[in-house]
Amino acid sequence: MTMRNILTVAQREFAHYLATPIGWLVLCAFLIITGLFFSLQTGWYATEAVQASFNPYQEPVDLGAHLIAPFFGDVSVILLMLCPALSMRLFAEDRRQRSLELLLTSPLSTAEIVLGKYLGGMLFVTLMLTGTLLYPLLLAWFGDPDPGVVLCSYLAVFLQVSSFMAVGMLASAFTESQMVALVSSFALLLAFWIASWAGAVASGTLGEVLAYVSMLPHTEQLGKGIIHSKDFVYYLSFVSFALFATHQRVEAYRWE
Amino acid sequence: MIVVENLSKRFGATHAVQDISFQVQKGEILGFLGPNGAGKTTTMRILAGSLGATAGTATIGGLDVAQHPRQVKRRLGYLPEAPPLYRDMTVGGYVRFAARIKGVQEVEAATEKVMERVGLTEMRQRLVGHLSKGFQQRAGLAQALVHEPEVLVLDEPTSGLDPAQRKEIRDLIRNLAAGERTVILSTHVLPEVDDLCERVIIIDRGRIAAMDSIEKLAQAQRLVRLQVGRPSDALLRALEQVPGVSAAEQLAEGSYALRTNRDARADIARAAAPYDLLELAGRERLEDIYLRLTGSQGAAAAQDGAQPGEAE
Repeated sequence: MTMRNILTVAQREFAHYLATPIGWLVLCAFLIITGLFFSLQTGWYATEAVQASFNPYQEPVDLGAHLIAPFFGDVSVILLMLCPALSMRLFAEDRRQRSLELLLTSPLSTAEIVLGKYLGGMLFVTLMLTGTLLYPLLLAWFGDPDPGVVLCSYLAVFLQVSSFMAVGMLASAFTESQMVALVSSFALLLAFWIASWAGAVASGTLGEVLAYVSMLPHTEQLGKGIIHSKDFVYYLSFVSFALFATHQRVEAYRWE
Repeated sequence: MIVVENLSKRFGATHAVQDISFQVQKGEILGFLGPNGAGKTTTMRILAGSLGATAGTATIGGLDVAQHPRQVKRRLGYLPEAPPLYRDMTVGGYVRFAARIKGVQEVEAATEKVMERVGLTEMRQRLVGHLSKGFQQRAGLAQALVHEPEVLVLDEPTSGLDPAQRKEIRDLIRNLAAGERTVILSTHVLPEVDDLCERVIIIDRGRIAAMDSIEKLAQAQRLVRLQVGRPSDALLRALEQVPGVSAAEQLAEGSYALRTNRDARADIARAAAPYDLLELAGRERLEDIYLRLTGSQGAAAAQDGAQPGEAE
């Protein structure tokens, strides 16, 4: 496995997003919606802060807990919905237009193909995320946000997106239809996202298991700027499993 | 250069390829003939490494395709029936990408060289998806050639092209083989095999029905066709009397086919002369061999447009 091969595949995938409408569509939708949510959240925060200033007994409203955390919570949900639209094509399109044959008959290993495609998708999502850097910069201009909280929020979103893209790619490897990949990865992600809600209702071991597999609880602490290694272990194992499963699925192409 | 031994591939209960063995020498152009679904594409995909065999081995330059896939793929160029194109890339970008993933060191030089060779230099900036079918086929060939492979595996390289484009691709393949390259190509167009290949393998229902040079295939059972101006039953009887003729039949008004077990053309010509002999062909056409070996079933299958990949 060489980095050169992975990067070559990744570069093509990344360039594809810039060369086709879907990439730009997702990018624009993401920036517009996050912009909308940022202005809404700032509005709410401003109201809260003004109300608090009239109450001498209340402490000042914290920027991190009342603006940054809810805003990045919004960003995660937006990405939960948009990432499947990016990941759906990773394998499905290649198989449908028969171009996967080029990769399979080239001296590339399956791991290089899988990692390259994943990296390409992740690069594009990272590009999307850099577009949101404007908001913390605005906050820093007018206020005094805790850089640690901002950094941890980005880390949390990045970990979530890594798992979104990994699950989406896995779904894409199972079908030639991008639509099927889109819907199935969205359904899967939503299930993982809200599993903790079901976990809160279910009792005993089942409840604990559901709470553990759910994505939400694993970024709550991180969003507040508290770093737990168990959250990293969760996301790392989540992504590794999805990548491994994709690898096995792609290997199986050679037998059908 | 290529050694295939007892190769088999099963898809569920269907045997796509059964116990196939053959060898191809360095620099040879081998033609793969057979109806759709006969196992040509399956065999080629196994050689190219995009499909695993159920049993048997295939080696290229002494390397087993299953054991050393990377080394084999570096030495082999494969053009599938549907060229594996990225429609959203420019021609130049596509060929460059192919060069990179095939491990070419001098990417730019190799890209320029191969585009020149297949005649794509003018199209460099065009999007692959906007090219005509003929140029798309060339882009597919460029991908298969960019790493200068010793072995080329081409699955129906001329399918869907018009006669002029066909000739261009054919000339290209001939030039490629002239440079010490081993080529396996499959086709439905029989004159193409006649024109390009030294040897053919006729494959039917997953098995090799015949494998030899075209000359030898034609001689194995010599069929003589003749055309006369004044047909009559007396001629048919006279022809049956000619020594060496084992069977004679009238195909159409004035057209006869004879099976012979020796070269009896001179005697046949003398016997037919009084009936105004117009034409006498002593060599069985490849088409006849093909149809005879694959049976009429195969001929019917060759007519419909089914893709071999789908049938498997």
